[in-house]
Amino acid sequence: MLTRIHGGRVIDPTAGRDGVGDVWIEDGRVVAPSDRTPDETIDATGCVVMAGGVEVHSHIAGGNVVMSRLLLPDLYVSEAAPNGHPFAQAGGSGSWIGANYARMGYTTAVEPALPPSNALATHLELADIPLLDRGGLAVLGNDDHLLQVLRDGEGKAAVRDLVQQTLAHARGLGVKCINAGGASAFKDGVLKLSLDDEIPCYGLSTRNIMAALLDAVEEIGVPHPLHVHCNNLGLPGADDSFVATLEAAEGRRIHFAHAQFYAYGVADPENPMTGGFRSAAERINAAMEAHPNATYDVGQVVFGQTVTISLDILRQFGGRKGAKPKKWVLSAGDAEGGGVVPFLYRPRGPVSSLQWAIGLELMLLSSNPERTILTTDHPNGGVFTEYPRIIHLLMDAEERAKEIATLPAVVGERSGLPGIEREYTLSEIAQLTRSGPAKLLGLTDRGHLREGAKADVAIYRDDRDRTAMFSHAKLVLKDGQKIVEDGEVVAWISGKTLSLDVEADAGMAKRADAYLQDRFGAGLDTFAVPDAAFPETTETFEDVACRA
Amino acid sequence: MAAWVKGGAASLDAAVEAAADLLAKARVPVLAGLNADVGAVRAAYRLAETLGASLDPVSGRSLYAELGALSAGGAMTTTRAETTARADVVLVLGNRPWDGDLVGEIAAAPLSRGGAAGAERVLLSLGGPQNGAIRHVAYAAEAGGLPVALGHLRAFAKGHLAGEAAFADLAKRLFAAQYGVVIYDAEEVGELGVEMLQGLIRDLNESTRFFTLPLADPFQGRATVQLSAWTTGQAPRVGFGRHQPEHDPWRFDSARQIAAGEADAALWLAALPAPRPDWLGRLPTVAVVGEGSTEAAGETAEVVITVGVPGESVGGALWNQRRGVIAYVDAKVPTEAARAVDVLARIRDRLIEKGVSC
Repeated sequence: MLTRIHGGRVIDPTAGRDGVGDVWIEDGRVVAPSDRTPDETIDATGCVVMAGGVEVHSHIAGGNVVMSRLLLPDLYVSEAAPNGHPFAQAGGSGSWIGANYARMGYTTAVEPALPPSNALATHLELADIPLLDRGGLAVLGNDDHLLQVLRDGEGKAAVRDLVQQTLAHARGLGVKCINAGGASAFKDGVLKLSLDDEIPCYGLSTRNIMAALLDAVEEIGVPHPLHVHCNNLGLPGADDSFVATLEAAEGRRIHFAHAQFYAYGVADPENPMTGGFRSAAERINAAMEAHPNATYDVGQVVFGQTVTISLDILRQFGGRKGAKPKKWVLSAGDAEGGGVVPFLYRPRGPVSSLQWAIGLELMLLSSNPERTILTTDHPNGGVFTEYPRIIHLLMDAEERAKEIATLPAVVGERSGLPGIEREYTLSEIAQLTRSGPAKLLGLTDRGHLREGAKADVAIYRDDRDRTAMFSHAKLVLKDGQKIVEDGEVVAWISGKTLSLDVEADAGMAKRADAYLQDRFGAGLDTFAVPDAAFPETTETFEDVACRA
Repeated sequence: MAAWVKGGAASLDAAVEAAADLLAKARVPVLAGLNADVGAVRAAYRLAETLGASLDPVSGRSLYAELGALSAGGAMTTTRAETTARADVVLVLGNRPWDGDLVGEIAAAPLSRGGAAGAERVLLSLGGPQNGAIRHVAYAAEAGGLPVALGHLRAFAKGHLAGEAAFADLAKRLFAAQYGVVIYDAEEVGELGVEMLQGLIRDLNESTRFFTLPLADPFQGRATVQLSAWTTGQAPRVGFGRHQPEHDPWRFDSARQIAAGEADAALWLAALPAPRPDWLGRLPTVAVVGEGSTEAAGETAEVVITVGVPGESVGGALWNQRRGVIAYVDAKVPTEAARAVDVLARIRDRLIEKGVSC
């Protein structure tokens, strides 16, 4: 079926498009303008037309996400379900996640923490998120097998084969390392770890582990660069960890998770751990300008109750006493494990206000929004449904000033946000939420509206109230099919789980099986994610090719 | 595949039709058991939503002892593999952990990872069977049982009680750990006991690393909790009678609902063996049971449909007790048996065709 989206303001920064025009769609793809009479014309007059949004870092599935629901059963509200989908109104459920992303015009979302030891459950959960294509990043960097290979100096080929085998079995889209070595060190009593500190029992450091993974990712040709969660998240002086890690990449591609939580400079050098923090957004921005090999997602904070979810058990243990309400779950897992710690970003509180300001400052200082992607690290900085409000604040200096005026003076004293007049354009928003994340994930078929792109399209009524505009898309197409009209889901389709097209080296698979049998009394088959495990759906997965 | 309707052999089509008829007439149906692979339990959730029914896994009692304490105060846990390789102090609570091979395996394994690698493991028990076959230091529980014993132990650990009592000695041993683990069964310890235990663990972590290793129930409860959480945002028991998932362990206790006369029809799902509920046969019931099980007979319920046993005659994603995760298991000896997931989906499809909606 040939469809013409007519008369809307088409925003596609990858093609330099920002003007009224048409987008043509056929068989689920964007096609060249046609002389044929379209089967359907969608009137987008007065609307903004963009590619579907792409999420790179949102905790939407996995054991710790499940645990957060059990720990805080009252965090989300369930509402009476309208006809159409049984569970979309079940607050916090997978269906609720899919529906809320789709309403905002997002069509792809990636869970950044896919533990290889719990890959099947995570994928079963991802597959139950409707409307979106989704994927997961396989987490490495604390697993004993990898650390043994590194400790024993087995060389780059062995590391590459182990990473590739792990990716293949976990069906990951990329590789992430979370405070590399930190979980292992924590189990041996360490409570603070920096880039070059020794990991007990292995004689390694975060730097060694990360460097090995950076090389392996390049050798395998993983399109998404190594996704790095640095040491010392959230601590005053975390900017040092960020910059040191950036330099340690030595020019290799690297993506930093939730940079806002590292843009904390020490406020009082005389009392670094007790004197609080100040914005290091300018320093982070300067470092990024000097290192074009790097990208980050922001991890913007929003005010209110949330729950922090992280495989960084060392950090979560350190932050447990800040839990609100006063309860937490920490799991010392087979590799990372993780922690679930409820947290309240106190509305108008001085600390949370400064965190809020730093995230916005980072984005507003960025010279290239494709490299500084919008996330809230859902739910760690806040729920992803706050994206429209964040976009509003980026696009409207007056609105921002109004909000700043309600906040404590510390925002002006310890961040540069009040002095920034920049307003994001729609093209820059598209870079921040579409083209940037799609490029970062190596998904060349989305994030833009050029010929050949997937027909994932979001149409918004152009409205000065950007919160309203981006909260409820007028129309969302997924693979050319209408899934949202006037902010409501109209077709409950299932997307695909994107996984990297890699095969495990046979020798390494055999070796890994022997290792696992010895350690767990259960082999590689118990780590597998076979198609047969998804009995009610067909073709759950879609392959993504490696870089040539 | 075998099926019966009112005691007579029936085709699968006829049994599905009869099941849909039976459930469509119900005002307050319950779906109980849920001892099956993840795909089948997933289908049961969808069926329950369509019917406006409630769901109650057979593992409920074990789950609630854990979940109640979890949502009240949280938990600190570890895995079997980490315990075996790394835990230099292991405290076994109560009797149930001594069933099976877990304690023996831990006792026999050398400490191979972490700072204590190569050292001798300290194995302790509290309120256990005083098993003489495995070398360990045994402490008796007090008259009040494990929860009271845990309270006293915690008081000694915190310094709120002092003296030469055995628990003072036990508390010292726990604090001496580099990586300690308490193994327990939530149903045996009870919700209050679990809450006290997790408090003790929090206290121990002020100066060392200490975690718990809770035993999983044998009826797929852990897998059902995960699926329930990502499907409804909440743990089981869940009811859909008011058009939205409502988590209420008391209200949706199937045994209570049936005893009180609230429920007027049931679906019993036991593709894997599960204790037969005493209410089976007392109210109109559809039994979806594993082939070859004792319930695979016409007199079990008004409608009986046999299905493949996951991991035996059909493949399925199941809770792996050893690894503590969901893992896929192929059929050992594949048969032509219907899969529970397909049977439940077909019943739901028929209900939708009949226009049934909660």
